[in-house]
Amino acid sequence: MVYPGSNCDRDVYHALKYVGVDVNYVGLDDSLDGCDLVVLPGGFSYGDYLRPGAVAAREKISHEVRRAADRGKLILGICNGFQILIEMGLLPGALLRNSSGRFVSKWVRLIVEDVDTPFTRNFKSREVIKLPVAHGYGRYFKTDSAIRVVFKYMDDVNGSDDMIAAVTTEDGRILGMMPHPERAYEKLLGGEDGLKLFTSVVEYLRRNAS
Amino acid sequence: MRYLNILKGKLGRDPDFVELHAFAVMWSEHCGYSHTAGYIRRLPKQGHHGNAGVVDLDGDFGLVFKVESHNHPSAVEPYNGAATGVGGIIRDVLAMGARPSAILDSLHMNSVIGGIIEGIADYGNSIGVPTVGGELRLSELYQHNPLVNVMAVGVAPHGNILPSKASKPGQVMVVFGGATGRDGIHGASFASEDLTGDKASKLSIQVGDPFAEKMLIEAFLRMNEEGLIDGAQDLGAGGVLSATVELVARGGLGAVVHLERLPLRESNMKPWEILISESQERMAVVTTKDRAERIIEIAKDHLLTAAVVAEVKADPTYRVFYGDKKIMEVPVQLLANAPEEPVSDYVPKDMPDFRKVDFKVVDAHTVFEQYDYMVGTDTVIPPGLGPAVMRVKGDGGYSLLTHSRADLAVQDSYWGTFIAVLESVRKTLSVGAKPLAVTNCVNYGDPDADPTDLAAMMKALEDACRFANIPVASGNASLYNTYGGRAIPPTLVIGMVGRADPKKIVRPKPSNVYAIGWPDFDVERERRLWEVIEYLSAKGAFVLAASSLVNVTHVKALRRLGLKLNVDVPRTEPAHQMVIVFADSVKTDVPVEKIGVLKWM
Repeated sequence: MVYPGSNCDRDVYHALKYVGVDVNYVGLDDSLDGCDLVVLPGGFSYGDYLRPGAVAAREKISHEVRRAADRGKLILGICNGFQILIEMGLLPGALLRNSSGRFVSKWVRLIVEDVDTPFTRNFKSREVIKLPVAHGYGRYFKTDSAIRVVFKYMDDVNGSDDMIAAVTTEDGRILGMMPHPERAYEKLLGGEDGLKLFTSVVEYLRRNAS
Repeated sequence: MRYLNILKGKLGRDPDFVELHAFAVMWSEHCGYSHTAGYIRRLPKQGHHGNAGVVDLDGDFGLVFKVESHNHPSAVEPYNGAATGVGGIIRDVLAMGARPSAILDSLHMNSVIGGIIEGIADYGNSIGVPTVGGELRLSELYQHNPLVNVMAVGVAPHGNILPSKASKPGQVMVVFGGATGRDGIHGASFASEDLTGDKASKLSIQVGDPFAEKMLIEAFLRMNEEGLIDGAQDLGAGGVLSATVELVARGGLGAVVHLERLPLRESNMKPWEILISESQERMAVVTTKDRAERIIEIAKDHLLTAAVVAEVKADPTYRVFYGDKKIMEVPVQLLANAPEEPVSDYVPKDMPDFRKVDFKVVDAHTVFEQYDYMVGTDTVIPPGLGPAVMRVKGDGGYSLLTHSRADLAVQDSYWGTFIAVLESVRKTLSVGAKPLAVTNCVNYGDPDADPTDLAAMMKALEDACRFANIPVASGNASLYNTYGGRAIPPTLVIGMVGRADPKKIVRPKPSNVYAIGWPDFDVERERRLWEVIEYLSAKGAFVLAASSLVNVTHVKALRRLGLKLNVDVPRTEPAHQMVIVFADSVKTDVPVEKIGVLKWM
């Protein structure tokens, strides 16, 4: 998905290409028919005006995203994409301004809490991984006690409840995460722990297709 | 007043109200470079273009880069001043046809001014261009005049690089981007005077809208991809006036401008206000009539305004209309060429015994961690350990840095500047890169009160670049950094780019740590030091080439990589020729001392 103001769309594109996925950019007037995975990338859709993700969540393409969700397609929201999924009500909770009041950009350590989703099958349970974060509004606020948490921070990064970095739906098919797996797909970039997330999805989809 | 008399002489009459405003902008130091033009002509130049410098990276790609100041606005309104500084330099790189791929800053201030950092961070983060580091220098010498210099770099195939001029009569100029308002009127002339002057109000400050900038970047790149642009110039200081004048002046042509066509954000703007408004996030492109429609369509698809505002004419006159009413008619070259101040020949003295001028030391990560330095997934070396290294997807890469030595220049402006250039070469070599070119930003006090140090800095830049055999590809000058008549130290910020191979980048790992070189400075030894750095880096040693040898930012950066540094840092003169080398062993005929170890934590 490319919303006006998305800025990690090209990074997600390169990471998906890297794992051999046939990938296309999708704009506001396009259809999501024919795709198996929808990625809502990071960035500042509509300049974060009003609230991060709030305007994008009310664009007409969001009906397409919702339709894809209803049909059980896999949906991954990264950073601003996570914010949009929450604004759309597809994932529970809220994302507030970091407790520091400042933007935070660095590599963080995460624990993989749930390896039973299509996105995390290739991780080991409780595996510790490193991914970059870069956000001003990443403090996860829990509104629901029965949620599936997929990644947790090992150190306090932004004041999130229970150190939550990523949540998924009950069926595990929609994942929202603040860290950026697409920035960690090659050693050259300082780490490649994000690669496993993409290979997990790809293998899951290939298995289900055959 | 002197310039007014020159203008009267050239026009053969008194200028009218609109002309006064127009010439005040175009002949301001900020736009006209009156005090530095003569010095710039003497520099060893290469790849100088209208908007930014261009050097060849690898035969296929060009590296587009420039450093620019936004000192005056940041002093009065830190957040918007700094933010629009980023926006402006980004558009300079963009106007050359390149996608901006990295930002670096160089900040001189009394203490970390939160508004300035946030302004840079919010703007850079939002438009998705990584801010990959820079320098942070804290000293009370900058209490009233913080210096905010920002460098931007972009990469483009040579075929995509655009000229910064109109090339033939019949072409039209389209202005697109955000709508025009009253912000930043006379920003250029405000930036050319003492900060206690009567223009130092928030009305002279432009307001940034990074979302519009992001849309402008994508729209412009799409237009270039579709081959719709014959020439381009961003709208910065001097707004529509400056952009359209420069485009036709460089082509030796004239223009007719129709101000009523510009989409406005405020009602009741007077024609002269529309002409010189410095509203941000706007770009002027030269195209043909038949292609202008598609340009406007692309702009609108990106939620931007656009209009054909001028026609290019053979007659080298600049005519401005509002509806049927002509509001100005003057020769293009008169507007474009500000009177020049005489240059003086500075003869360097022997280097003095520098004393240590203490700048405050802080961990720059508190600043770096507010910058998204990873967006774009090309950042190979993160901030904090010397120059940044970026890859170019597909093949190759480049290094970039900003560097200055105002602590030395405040004592001897020639040698402080000279050494800053040499140290930039050391830093570039330390990451295994080959220096390609320099961009520079002259930050200075009042050249009318003290022309000597300005001459010394420019002579040092010229001499050092000749010594290093590295061309100057672009530059910028910010003068009148004074407050109540008191000037900042002469601060020349060097931006240097190099050709790097990301695959061969050396990262710190457990090893012995050596100090290599000499604790004092002798220019005769400099090339020897460069050879040693180049050799050791190629052999797989990690090299730190810092003025302070090892500082808290290095220590914290190593800690982020899980490494603990245990060293006795040798004492050196403020100007020295020593670097820190991380390797198991070192063989060289240059003085070597083992000073400690680097271990996993």
